[in-house]
Amino acid sequence: MNALTPYLVSVFLLLIIGLGCLMVKRDMIRMLIGLEILFNAANLNFVALSLGRAGFVDPLGQSIVMMAIVLDGCVVAVGLAMALNAYKHYGTLDVRKLRRLRW
Amino acid sequence: MVMTSPLSASFLPLPLAVLLLGGGTLPLIGLLAEKTGLRRLRELWAIAFSALNLISIYLLYQELRASPGRVIVSSLLGSPPLAGCFEIDVLGVYMAGCVALLGFLAVVYSYRYMEEESRLTEFYTLVLLMMAGMTGVALAGDFFTLFVFWEMMGVSSYVLVAFLKYRWGPIEAGFKYLIMSATGSAFLLLSMSLIYGMSGTLNFAYLSASLRGVEPSPWLLLLLATLIVGFGVKSAIVPFHTWLPDAHPEAPGPISALLSGIVIETGLYALMRVTYLTFTPSVYRSVFAALAVITMTVANIMALLQNDLKRLLAYSSISQIGYMLIGLSTGTAYGLMGSLLHILNHSLMKGLAFLAAGNITHQTGMRDIEKLRGVGRMMPYTMLCLSISLLGLGGVPATNGFISKFILFSSAIGAGMPILAVAGVLNSALSMAYYLRVIKNFISTPEGEFEAEEAPILMVAVNILMALLIILLGLWPQPAIRYADAASKMLVEGLGRYVQAVVGR
Repeated sequence: MNALTPYLVSVFLLLIIGLGCLMVKRDMIRMLIGLEILFNAANLNFVALSLGRAGFVDPLGQSIVMMAIVLDGCVVAVGLAMALNAYKHYGTLDVRKLRRLRW
Repeated sequence: MVMTSPLSASFLPLPLAVLLLGGGTLPLIGLLAEKTGLRRLRELWAIAFSALNLISIYLLYQELRASPGRVIVSSLLGSPPLAGCFEIDVLGVYMAGCVALLGFLAVVYSYRYMEEESRLTEFYTLVLLMMAGMTGVALAGDFFTLFVFWEMMGVSSYVLVAFLKYRWGPIEAGFKYLIMSATGSAFLLLSMSLIYGMSGTLNFAYLSASLRGVEPSPWLLLLLATLIVGFGVKSAIVPFHTWLPDAHPEAPGPISALLSGIVIETGLYALMRVTYLTFTPSVYRSVFAALAVITMTVANIMALLQNDLKRLLAYSSISQIGYMLIGLSTGTAYGLMGSLLHILNHSLMKGLAFLAAGNITHQTGMRDIEKLRGVGRMMPYTMLCLSISLLGLGGVPATNGFISKFILFSSAIGAGMPILAVAGVLNSALSMAYYLRVIKNFISTPEGEFEAEEAPILMVAVNILMALLIILLGLWPQPAIRYADAASKMLVEGLGRYVQAVVGR
């Protein structure tokens, strides 16, 4: 068995969990958490693939993950601000109750 | 050929430096404007910087034209494979030029359109940063640099869609846009990690040297799938398009024009560049051909059913993405030239259509096509511009839409995929049905009980300028074709030179 297999299996599971969370959950905050799980699946893939390249840990993959975490943070911060505004308008975070646009 | 030059002596390309400087200083200028009472200062600042951006793109183009096939590499701290960098070629400058042109027109238009809104400092900062993001995507020479600017463009556009936050629509559309588009970004990050795992680098030239032409393996096909999902969500290719008809109509007028005219095309440009550098066209031809047909057909049928003017235009944008995918799926220089030319033409036509629709909503506050019956008689200049842009989108001769559609369809025949040309022509005919319905409704006798005056002169002037450009590029397309031709040749025939310029340094 390749040494990478456990990591790749966890990446796959995280992807499934993230997508499932986005599809099933109806709470805005939980959808954002699902988004964060998806991003972290990709980050984990980066870290896993940067191990064992040429016998040492490749700093390129690690540094990219650091930057990517910052970018996810920005996206989720904007999402939380929108959730806050939606809560002020509707008094709920349930996306089924928003529904004035077709999802 | 790699040379240092005054324009690339710094580590940032000049247009990007201009836009980031403008966006970064705008909050201070806004503060100054509040303090001194010179309210127009921030608008003028934004207009000045977007004009400077246009000029700097022109300078960069002049420099690249001096020696064909030249690639300017500018990077921060070190040489390309290790550092984030920009690789500027004719193709990138072409795309950045489209961004700069439409961005400048939209900023000038916002001067009057947005004047009654509050929080204008944030608005212009975000517009400049969104343009900087798109320029960065166009000029990036490294997948990670592309991703950073991609997110910059994305985050600014999420906020701009939800900008009118005192109404329910923009908030909800913005949240939907954010969730779907950020999911796309996550898949993009995943595809980057796959590329990194396979080739050990994210630099375009290096990954092209190590991946292109390799026998297709399951991992490569997974990479293609994640790339299509990642870029496809932003560029609204059909299975991933559902956010667009909500997000684009809810944004303010000039932002709709920017989003529909150039942001989704930036996604398509990135898809074109990355897939062409990573795969030989035979790997992805059939996938893109199928996506092109589905995108055109579904979007046109959905557009027929719309009663909301801006929603109709949003669906029409999706169908235009389908036409551009025809050029990508041929994989020839001629087809890619058609796609690039259509990107420029569509940015003018759809930009004008959304700005003219913005005039109408600004004056009447309504977007329903049936209720707006007869509005064209009250706003003759706006109506003239709207008609020109809609006829151009339908591909009527003497407008620039005809030229680029002609090139796209003939390239499909030349590449041995006549079915794509047939689908494209049929879809063009279908699309005329809803464009003509809009024109007919707007010029028939008024029935509704509303009064409208012609829009303010500055807004109309921008519209007329764009309408003139559409006609001009329809009757005399040679300059645009030459430019697009150089850009597509750079991608297809100059690939070896591109790789050589960076790798052999």
